[in-house]
Amino acid sequence: MRQAYEFEKTYGELILRCSVCGFCQAVCPIYGLTRRPALNARGKMLLLQEVMRGEMGLDQDLVETLFQCTGCASCEVNCPSGVKVTEILREVRREMVNTGTCHPVFTGMNEILAGSNNIYGETDPPEYLEGRKVNEKAAYVYFAGCVGAYREEEHTEVTLKLLDRMGVDYTLIDEVCCTGVLEDVGYAVHGSKAETLVERVRATGAETLITGCPYCMRTFTSRNAYIGLSEAGVRVVHISQFLSTMTFDVQTDLVVTYHDPCDLGRHAGIYEEPRRTIGRIAPRFVEMEHHHAQSLCCGAGGGVRASHPAHSIGMARRRLEEAEAVGADVVLTDCNSCVHNLSNAKLRRQKLRITTVPAFILSLLEGEERA
Amino acid sequence: MLEERIKQELKDIVGPENFTEARIDMVSYAYDAMGAKGRPDCAVWVTSTDQVSAIMQLATREKIPVTPRAAGTGIAGMAVPTHGGIVMDVMRMNRILEINVEDRVCVVEPGVVYVDLQKALAPHGFTLPTEPGSSVASAIGGNVATNAGGLKGAKYGTTKDYVLGLVVVLPDGRVMKTGTRTMKTSSGYNLTQLFVGSEGTLGIITEITLKVVPLARRTATALGLFDSLEDAGRAVTRTMSSGVVPSVMEVMGRYLIQAINEGTDLQLPEVNTMLLVETEGYTRAEADAQMERVVEIFKDNGASDVKRAETEAERADLWAARKSTYPVTARLNNSILVEDVTVPMSKLAELFREFEKVVAQYDLKVAMCAHAGDGNFHPLITFDSRDPEMVERVEKANDALFRMAIAMGGTITGEHGIGTMKAKYMTMEHGEIAMDVMRTIKRALDPHNIMNPGKMDLNG
Repeated sequence: MRQAYEFEKTYGELILRCSVCGFCQAVCPIYGLTRRPALNARGKMLLLQEVMRGEMGLDQDLVETLFQCTGCASCEVNCPSGVKVTEILREVRREMVNTGTCHPVFTGMNEILAGSNNIYGETDPPEYLEGRKVNEKAAYVYFAGCVGAYREEEHTEVTLKLLDRMGVDYTLIDEVCCTGVLEDVGYAVHGSKAETLVERVRATGAETLITGCPYCMRTFTSRNAYIGLSEAGVRVVHISQFLSTMTFDVQTDLVVTYHDPCDLGRHAGIYEEPRRTIGRIAPRFVEMEHHHAQSLCCGAGGGVRASHPAHSIGMARRRLEEAEAVGADVVLTDCNSCVHNLSNAKLRRQKLRITTVPAFILSLLEGEERA
Repeated sequence: MLEERIKQELKDIVGPENFTEARIDMVSYAYDAMGAKGRPDCAVWVTSTDQVSAIMQLATREKIPVTPRAAGTGIAGMAVPTHGGIVMDVMRMNRILEINVEDRVCVVEPGVVYVDLQKALAPHGFTLPTEPGSSVASAIGGNVATNAGGLKGAKYGTTKDYVLGLVVVLPDGRVMKTGTRTMKTSSGYNLTQLFVGSEGTLGIITEITLKVVPLARRTATALGLFDSLEDAGRAVTRTMSSGVVPSVMEVMGRYLIQAINEGTDLQLPEVNTMLLVETEGYTRAEADAQMERVVEIFKDNGASDVKRAETEAERADLWAARKSTYPVTARLNNSILVEDVTVPMSKLAELFREFEKVVAQYDLKVAMCAHAGDGNFHPLITFDSRDPEMVERVEKANDALFRMAIAMGGTITGEHGIGTMKAKYMTMEHGEIAMDVMRTIKRALDPHNIMNPGKMDLNG
C-alpha cells in the first residue's frame, strides 16, 4: 500500500474535483504565453492526480510546472468546479521542499532571507529614508516592501512626497521583509522577522499601517505570524485604499488605463478604490480588455520573475499589448512589482508611461503632465 | 518508444523548442476533458502546414501513430493518444488569417480559440453562431474536427453549417485544399464535410474557411415554468412547429434547479421544469412579436408562469442561471459525465421521462438539461469515480440512454463526437453497411492506420 502524501489529506478531494474541463487554459497567463498545457492548472491537477494514484512521486520532474505559477488565481476565479489552485500548490510545494525538491531560485531566496532583511540581500538602506521620520511616533506607518525599497525606489520616493504634500503624519520603519512570498514557494514565514516587524510597527504607536505592496498587505492581514498587528489595534490598508478617500484638485487629459494587480484584485477584492481615485483625476479613463476579476497577470508573481524571467517578461508584454490596443497613454497600477515588470517589458516603440497611481497624482500636482 | 533518430528528425522539422518528451507534457497530453487516458511518446507544437506535412511524411514512412490535438476540451476521448506515438498540438497555429465581411467569410488556423474569433468578428457586426459550451477554451480546429454544436443549434445549426473550405494534410503528407470561399458550390464530392466531424482520423486540418453571419441586433428572453416535463416537452414541440424559431430553447429539470439554488443566490422557483427561451430580430418589435407567440404557446401548454426579462439585468440573471448548470453540478461530486444524445424533437419529453426511470433504477444523481430546440439532451450525471460499484451503475445508465436514443430514431452524439467513449455504439447507430463504407474511406486515406487510431470504431 502506497504511503499517501500529506497534501492529499487536506486537498485530495479538491484535486479530484478538477473535472479537467480546460476552462483554466483560457485564462492562465503562462498557458496564454506558452500554449503548453502541462503548465496550466488542469495540467498541474492531472499530474497531482497521477501522484495520488501512485503513478509518480513528488519528484524533480514536477518542479518545472508546480513551481511555475504566478499565483494570479485567474484559474480559480474561473474554475467551474471550485478548485482552489493556489492553496493546493502552496501545500504541495511545502511538502516538496520538506522532501528536498524545489526550484533552485526559491531555495536561494530562502537562504538570502535567512541572512538578510530583504529578498535582494541589499545592505544599504534606501535613500528615501534620509530626512524623513524613521521609527518615530506617528499616526501612520508607511511600509514600502522589498520591491518598493530596492527595485522601485523612485516610485516609493514620490509616494512619500505625495504623503508629505498631503500633510500625512507618518513614519517609516527600518523594514524587514514580511517573508510572505516564502509560503507561496514552499517555505515558511520567518517568525523572527515577523516579530521584529510587528514590534517596530507597534513601537511607533501608529493606528494604521499603509503598505505600498499588495502582497505585504495580504501577508500582514492573513498570516498568523502577524496577528500581533491586529492585537495591537493596528489597521492594515493598502495605499490605494488610503488614497481613495482623498480628493486631488488636478486632472489629466491623457488616456489612462489601470492594471489590476492580482494580489490587490483577485486576492483581496480591491477593485473599485483605485478606480475611484483615478476616475477623479483622469476623465479619459479606459478599461483594457481584461480587467477586474478577469484582469491579465503581469507575470511578476509567485517568484516567476526570478525563476522563469523570459516567461515573466512575455506575460508582461501581452498585458502591454492590451494597453496599446485601447489607446492608453498611461498605464497605472498599484503594485511596485507590477510596475517593475511591466516597465522591464516595455518595448522602445511603445510610448506608454507606466507608473503607480500615487506617482501619477504627484506628477499632476507638480505640473509635469498636461492638466 | 521512439528511436533517437526519429526524435531528432522531429526536432529538425519543428525546432527543438517545439518538441517535448518531458514527463509532465506526456501526462497532460494523455487526457482530454473527460479524463480518457493514453500516454504519447512525444509531442510537437506545429506552427505551419509545411511542418505538419513533413511530420506526416515521417510518420507514414516510420508507421508512427499521430494524434492531432487542439485545446483538449473534447469529452469523448478523440484527442487521447490511445496508441502512443506523436501528439500534434496545433494550438500555436492560432492566427486569424482573414475576416472578409463582404464575402461573409473568415479564414483561421486551427488553434484559434472560439471566443477570440468572436471578439475579432464582433466589431464587424458578424459572428460564428455555433457557440459551444466550451467556447471560452475550445479551438476552431477542434470544433470542426468534432462538428461541435451549442446553445443556438435550433436556429443556427452546428459547425458543419459554417465550414466552406479546409486545408488538410493527409496521412501521407500531401496537402489538400477542399471546398471554396463561396456561399454555394455543387462541384464534386463534398470533401470538406467528410473532414468535418472526422475527429482527426483522416488528416490534420491546418486552415479553415468559415461562413459568418450577422450578429443579432435585438433579443427577447423569457423563462417558462412548468409543473411537468410532459407539458414542457409539448410546449417545445408546439413552439418549434409554430413558425417561430427561437435562437435558444433550454430545458432545466428539477434536480438541476435545486442544485442551482443551493449553489448560487439566484433563487429560482423550484418547479418541475423550466424552459429558457430567446428570440432574435433586426428590431426590438420583431424579437418581441416572436416572443409573444412563444409565451402564448407556453401558456396554452400548461406553463404555470412565464417570466419575461424586461431589463438587461433580468436577462443576465436568466443566463446566469443557465450558465451555472455545469459549475453547480460539477461541485456535487468528484466526477461528472455529460452526455449529448439527440432525438427528434417530438421525442424529447419521452426521452426525459424514460431516462428518469433509468436514473431511479440505478439510484443516480442526474441534472437534466437539454438544448430542446434541436432535441439535444444533456444529462449531467454526478458520481464518485473512486467507487467502482457506482461507476458501473453510471455505465449501465449511459448504455440504456444510448439504446433509447437510437431506438427513438436519434443519435448517440449531437455535438460532442464519438472518440473512444462511444465507439462501441457506432455500429448500433449506423449499421454494418455504413460502418463498412466509413472503414473503406479510412483505409483509402490512411492505409497504415496512423492517423488518430483507435477512434470511432474505424479499425474493425
